[in-house]
Amino acid sequence: MDAYLIAIAIITAIYVLLALGLNLQYGLTGIVNFGHVGFFCVGAYTTAILSEHGVPLVVSFPLAAVLAMAFAWPLGLVSIRLREDYFAIVSLGFSEVVRLVATSERWLTNGVQGIAGIPKLFAGWLTGPAQSYAVLGLLVAFNALAILAMLRIVRSPFGRMIEAIRDNEEAVKALGKDPAGFKIQVLVLGAALAGLAGAVYAHYIGYISPEQFLPLITFQIWMAIIMGGVGRISGALVGAGILMLFLEGSRFLRDVMPFISEVSMASVRLGVVGLALILFTMYRPQGLMGDFTRK
Amino acid sequence: MSGFLELAISGLMSGLVIGLAALALTLVFGVARFANAATGDFMTCGAYAALLGFGATGSMVVGGAVGLAAGALVGMVSYLLVFRTLEGRPSVSALLASIGIGFVIRAVLGVVYGHGQQVFQLPLVRPWRVYDLRIQPNDLKIGITALVALLVVFLVLHATPIGRRMRAVADDPMLARVSGIAPRQVMLALWALSGAVAALAGVLLGIKTVVSPEMGWEMLIPVFAAAVLGGIGHPVGAILAGVLLGVLQEIATPYVGFTYKLALAFVILLAVLLVRPKGLFGRVEGVR
Amino acid sequence: MTLAIQGLTKAYGGLHVVNDVRFEVPSGALVGVIGPNGAGKSTLFSLITGFLAADAGDVSFEGRSLGRASPMERARAGMVRTFQVPREFSHLTVRENLLAAAPGQSGERLIDTFFRPGRVKAEEAAIAREAAETIDFLRLAKVADVPAGRLSGGQKKLVELGRALMTGARMILLDEPFAGVNPVLIEELSVRIRELNGRGIGFLIIEHDLAALNKLVSTLHVMDRGVLIASGAPAEVLGNPRVRDAYLGGAAA
Repeated sequence: MDAYLIAIAIITAIYVLLALGLNLQYGLTGIVNFGHVGFFCVGAYTTAILSEHGVPLVVSFPLAAVLAMAFAWPLGLVSIRLREDYFAIVSLGFSEVVRLVATSERWLTNGVQGIAGIPKLFAGWLTGPAQSYAVLGLLVAFNALAILAMLRIVRSPFGRMIEAIRDNEEAVKALGKDPAGFKIQVLVLGAALAGLAGAVYAHYIGYISPEQFLPLITFQIWMAIIMGGVGRISGALVGAGILMLFLEGSRFLRDVMPFISEVSMASVRLGVVGLALILFTMYRPQGLMGDFTRK
Repeated sequence: MSGFLELAISGLMSGLVIGLAALALTLVFGVARFANAATGDFMTCGAYAALLGFGATGSMVVGGAVGLAAGALVGMVSYLLVFRTLEGRPSVSALLASIGIGFVIRAVLGVVYGHGQQVFQLPLVRPWRVYDLRIQPNDLKIGITALVALLVVFLVLHATPIGRRMRAVADDPMLARVSGIAPRQVMLALWALSGAVAALAGVLLGIKTVVSPEMGWEMLIPVFAAAVLGGIGHPVGAILAGVLLGVLQEIATPYVGFTYKLALAFVILLAVLLVRPKGLFGRVEGVR
Repeated sequence: MTLAIQGLTKAYGGLHVVNDVRFEVPSGALVGVIGPNGAGKSTLFSLITGFLAADAGDVSFEGRSLGRASPMERARAGMVRTFQVPREFSHLTVRENLLAAAPGQSGERLIDTFFRPGRVKAEEAAIAREAAETIDFLRLAKVADVPAGRLSGGQKKLVELGRALMTGARMILLDEPFAGVNPVLIEELSVRIRELNGRGIGFLIIEHDLAALNKLVSTLHVMDRGVLIASGAPAEVLGNPRVRDAYLGGAAA
């Protein structure tokens, strides 16, 4: 049971990292990123492929974040000036193309079979529960760093400007400041967090394949931040917790009601995420915990 | 040469499907001012409903009619339950909600029908030979159906009072309201029309390929690309761009491979947004 | 000449919304543009500030041609606009709205935020003093730390003016500053504008509310159906029969 709880905590912490990135992008800056899972995927595959070729984790981990950033930057350059709904679809398309490449370029990614046997973190030094604790510790450290950095950003003139951009982009232009430059930086930062999350995920699960990086993941994170509180750093924590409760809860439901097939359960989960997106945007866009105006 | 022509004809068929769906997307976008990400799932609804109708009667005409009716219904219900409430909110709200609606549709279809693929059991017909060109009679029927549907949509838009009011709302929602157009009715008709057109695209796609819960969602990027290429809010543009995209995808397949069809649509989408964001015929700018 | 508008033209589907408009705003002047609804005033404004691309014509400011420049470049050149419907940063406080407008902040660069906090802090203190002065000047002290989204329409217009001041603009373009503002605040706003003008800031004001404007400006331009039909001192322009016909006649009807 203990091991189970740690496993849950680890996955939740990975979701927190993803949610922090998306909340920085959407909640604070107003960037409608529908392709978050694409950066997660890039991070996971980067470190998995590098590890296959014997590159040590201390190198492959940072490179996972860097490569995710390297994908975000050109995407931002070409499309961040678009209307927000156009950007949303373009970013969705980006994440699907990433998945397509992971599926098709077998020489690099092993295609639909995916990459197995990705080395566990701290495998050389620790085993059993200690190893899991160490992974959790690492994730907590990553999250703490990310939160500290975001707090610093929120309280800086940069943070003020991105919130101004979220509130009214035209007015920012009228003051002589270019929203695009700020938004690209934010897109890249959020991608770095997603890439990092992907790297931890790959090494923790030990196996990755394209079907783990469906757009559903992106919208689960959207659900998390909308429920947790858009534009609030705590919203990422609350939202990731809710998301985990929901995902694990649905697994328990299947233990209780084994007549529901796993395939049907996947559909039910999809439907619940969909319903949550609909109902929250309609009735409670400020999330469960209240508006971001009250910081 | 004939191989190339056959590819082009096949592209024309899938292009008509993309074009119809893009028409459904652009109709809503032009008036309600957001990209309905559930357009693809409306297609899927139409295809499954058509399967039901076809299975019950054995007639593809009845099947198609059931599909269209289902699409129109799903469109209207989406509007009444969700999008009506979100009018006047930032377009992100409606966009997110439309993603949610798509998820719900896929979930329901997944639970009811499972994730397997189904097909329309249409009798196989020997292709016609025109010189050394092979033409599938079914392709011809799909093409004719699509063209007739287009004609009907344009008649609705240009020759009926409700269509004229739709176009008035699209041109200037404020002015339309001032001049006493009841937006409710117009919007309801619009969503019905958009849903039916999407459903038809789904039925045709189902006949050409297979029916599965994901079939429409997977078309979203090409469909959006066609709507943007044609110029958002421009029905003729959507169709022409859809056909263009379909033909390009088909012709490119031997070079880029089957799997990268979607990537090609994505690249075209990016290129259009960069070079000519208002599309070939558009009025609404994609850049702020 | 500070601001020169040189034959700006914009047409939509053959209809000229703005047609070959040309006039000049000398540095430090207070100039108004009036016209009935649909005369093309707001379009003209967007053409001057670069929010719309002109079909023809040019804009020059302090001798620099800006006809092809982006809205951001035009603002940085010292020519800043406000909006007819206020575009406040609704979740930021009034103070933060003003702070955000200050140009050239190194704290807006992430590198400096993380690695040169001392410099950012010092700059921020200087900007904060300037913002506090501006807030006092605009009589916004009571609401200084209230999210701007909660202010009244008139107060929001003051916030927009405050932001324009914080940019250090030498020419401020006000888009219907008096529309939807109560008479007391209109008087207040007029006094501030006059005072700022006394400090050498030029104003170009688009207005529908004639009464408030003609007391304020030294020169008035009248637009009708996309063209300039009269220019001159307010009293003289308002006596012009063509203006009466186009504007007053239209307004009375």
